[in-house]
Amino acid sequence: MSLDGKTGADRVLQPLTSATKGHFVLLALLALGTLWMLFAWFVQLRGGLMHTTSLGDWGVSGGVPWGLYIGAFVWWIGIAHGGIAISAAVRVFKLERFAPIARIAEVLTVLALGMAATSIVFSLGRPDRIFNTIVQWPFTVHHSPLAWDIAVITLYLVLTLTYLTLSLRDEIYEIRDRLPYWLDPIYAVILIGYRPEESEKVEQLLWWLAVAILALVPLLSGGVVPWLFGLIAAQPGWFGAAAGPSMLIESLTSAMAFVVVTIAIFRFAYGWEDFIRDAIFRDLSKVLALLTLATLWFVVHDVLTGAYLAPHHVGDITATMVSLPFFWIAVLGLGAAFIYLVAQLLRPSLFSVGRLTIASAVIAISILNKKVMFIVEGLMHPSIPPLTNLYPAGFYFPNWVEWSLVLGTIVVVGLGFVVIGKIIPMVELEVVDDDETTPRMGDPPLTDDSSEDATRPDTEVN
Amino acid sequence: MACSSITYEEGIQMSSGSDPPRRSGTNGDETAGSGLEAGGDADAEAVGSEMPDLGDQWTVDDLDEDWERRAVEMLEDVDFDTELGVELSRDALRLAQGELTRAEFNEKHHDDVYEEFGVDERPTTEAGGIEYESSTRTATSSADGSPLPSVPETDSRPVPSRRGILKSAGAAAAVGMTAGLAGCLDGAAQSTTADATSGEDGNDVQLGMAIDMNHCIACLKCVEACKQENDTDRGTHWMHVFRYEEDEFGDVTEEYMPRPCQHCSEPSCTYVCPTQARHKRSKDGLVLTDYDTCIGCKYCEVACPYGVNFLGKGEPTDKSPGFTGSATDERGETVGGPPPTGVMGKCTFCVHRQDDSAQRGTTACEDDCPVDAIHFGDMNDPESDPRAYLRENDEESRFSLLDQQGTEPNVVYLGTEPTKDAEPVDGPYTYEDLDMETLAESQNGGDGE
Repeated sequence: MSLDGKTGADRVLQPLTSATKGHFVLLALLALGTLWMLFAWFVQLRGGLMHTTSLGDWGVSGGVPWGLYIGAFVWWIGIAHGGIAISAAVRVFKLERFAPIARIAEVLTVLALGMAATSIVFSLGRPDRIFNTIVQWPFTVHHSPLAWDIAVITLYLVLTLTYLTLSLRDEIYEIRDRLPYWLDPIYAVILIGYRPEESEKVEQLLWWLAVAILALVPLLSGGVVPWLFGLIAAQPGWFGAAAGPSMLIESLTSAMAFVVVTIAIFRFAYGWEDFIRDAIFRDLSKVLALLTLATLWFVVHDVLTGAYLAPHHVGDITATMVSLPFFWIAVLGLGAAFIYLVAQLLRPSLFSVGRLTIASAVIAISILNKKVMFIVEGLMHPSIPPLTNLYPAGFYFPNWVEWSLVLGTIVVVGLGFVVIGKIIPMVELEVVDDDETTPRMGDPPLTDDSSEDATRPDTEVN
Repeated sequence: MACSSITYEEGIQMSSGSDPPRRSGTNGDETAGSGLEAGGDADAEAVGSEMPDLGDQWTVDDLDEDWERRAVEMLEDVDFDTELGVELSRDALRLAQGELTRAEFNEKHHDDVYEEFGVDERPTTEAGGIEYESSTRTATSSADGSPLPSVPETDSRPVPSRRGILKSAGAAAAVGMTAGLAGCLDGAAQSTTADATSGEDGNDVQLGMAIDMNHCIACLKCVEACKQENDTDRGTHWMHVFRYEEDEFGDVTEEYMPRPCQHCSEPSCTYVCPTQARHKRSKDGLVLTDYDTCIGCKYCEVACPYGVNFLGKGEPTDKSPGFTGSATDERGETVGGPPPTGVMGKCTFCVHRQDDSAQRGTTACEDDCPVDAIHFGDMNDPESDPRAYLRENDEESRFSLLDQQGTEPNVVYLGTEPTKDAEPVDGPYTYEDLDMETLAESQNGGDGE
């Protein structure tokens, strides 16, 4: 990992000014994936939502009106909390050791929020009219949970974008001469009205912004999003007071898991083992283990209340839930990942970033699975007796259009990272210069499992 | 609301004897404050402490300029006419002192009160006789079970009565809530007077149905008539007939239950709608979708416990000559006929007929029912067809579907409510089974299984 006297800042800035062949291949693949998603969306828009997807009307038709799209929406909202959780840890709780991954996590927040909104648009019968929700907002906010969602998500997006931009200003100003000149217009926008004296004020602002965004987390994933479901008396599978707490825990679990996957990919791609050190992964794995356990604990509550002397309609749903293979796939995924996480905590020799990344990916996917199941199960047995047994039980499995669009959102997040990674430094330069690289240049790599990527720096630099 | 009821109550109290009205402590303040105004008790109490407490010593002469200034300050916080409030208050005291009679008091401000609140229920000689017993409070337990005291309504803001929310909000808060919750209802409707909730004068129309399950033979004529009338999509069942078996200790009976939209008084679909597209039309209580505003989010469908919503597929059957009614109602909103693709639709109680004087008061399903099981009309009018039918058959058991859900449906069934163990039976109950439906464009290939 000796890099010929390059400073940490040099290595963080390198992706901005040069690109490898691998980068272009990845860019092309992600762009193709995005094009495929746009094609699938075009098919859906042309053919109509009910024709081109496997969504249907509940009731006589035995369909499921909300499915993969709404599940993906809830999932992305949850993942968006990862960024702010890390940032807040650094800024509000002064956990400086997470500083190197804060920027990546913040970008993840912005991208994930965008994909949450996109998932909602996919789910609409008339996406061209989406702005009606804004026009009517003052009149619907009193009673429609969807209007509450629009408000909180918009607020969250504005705050995180402001946060990200403010935190970039000092840095961009200082290194502007080392940044690619063709992106100057973008930097000019970021630096509008910049004065070097503003740093102190901006720091204070950032602190308050972090607190504000942190306060929005329980309001969003533990509030307005679960209330979309928990307040609906017509759906016994959703109705209930625990929807908020359990969804908040699930969301934070998927958020942490997604952060682990994202930073592992960055570390692997750019050889940043010496800033994003194993210790960060170890810390995250502890948080993740705790959150996964809490998620499983909520599942136990859910199944037990639905199985033990439950009212007829609730019992029906629980019986369906435990009979669906996808439910057990989700539980199994979470259980297996949890066992690994605990094992590597007890026996450090079992730890490796690769394994942790796989476990995290399994957790993230299991939570998506679980969220989709939550929505679909409820709608498979909607309403209450006698109607719930007079109507046929619903059936749902997403078709290729829905898979393309939802997997497409993941591809777009990848594309977003690849593009943004060429515009702004993905690690705060202050962090790399101060305490990581400088004293350790020339030292052997700090990672204790560098074997898997020992050869990569050669291919990285061109 | 505090206005009419409290003024009135105080009035009764004042006129009930020669004793001077109690005005000690906060009671006295309330007489001065809430006796005037609909701003509510909370306001009056909040500012009441600024008023000098003269106990029983108040006389008309105490209502000097200083008093007036303070009264005006208080009253400016509420939405109603300040001057009228001051005058009412002044005269209320004169009434209490015996300088005015009740009839004089009521008549003196009748026109102004009526103009300001759109209602004045205080008896005047002009209105024919003085019956103090008919206090406005009786309207609170009116026929529709509305828990609210009568609230003066304006043209633009009919008042819903969302049970639970409003129940827990105090009388004062209710005025504020009204503005918000009115969003769930149709804002452009005709005004209804406060006592209309009683339905006695027929101003507050709530269309609904009485459906006699004992008559129903599951011939599905209603279903077919609906399809032809409204030109709905393939697989869309605005009217549906459940066929099911009940097993009572071995005695198996087959029963039928037609299911249109219930046009609820507390429709959960309107509450969740993020665009106000789904709304309750105040003119006649129909729950409708504005096809020009709906974004197709399907939240109404998810929130409805009855399963009556169907997203537009743009795939009509060839069994209908096409929708021939007017899609636009009197307010200019597109609410009738089949919804466009991607827009939510459901039974409209044939809204195009209700807006057409020649066909008003009929629905396609009712017209075509060969056994007279469906009776459609104003559920608030005792003389209407459904109400009369319910009265004639008052020995029969009846129920509202999923009554415990709190939606207050406006379809009343005669017969026995299906139990949780009701078993749906196979039978010719789909359009396909009855050859009532074929796909207009068969190459479209189903709805994507």
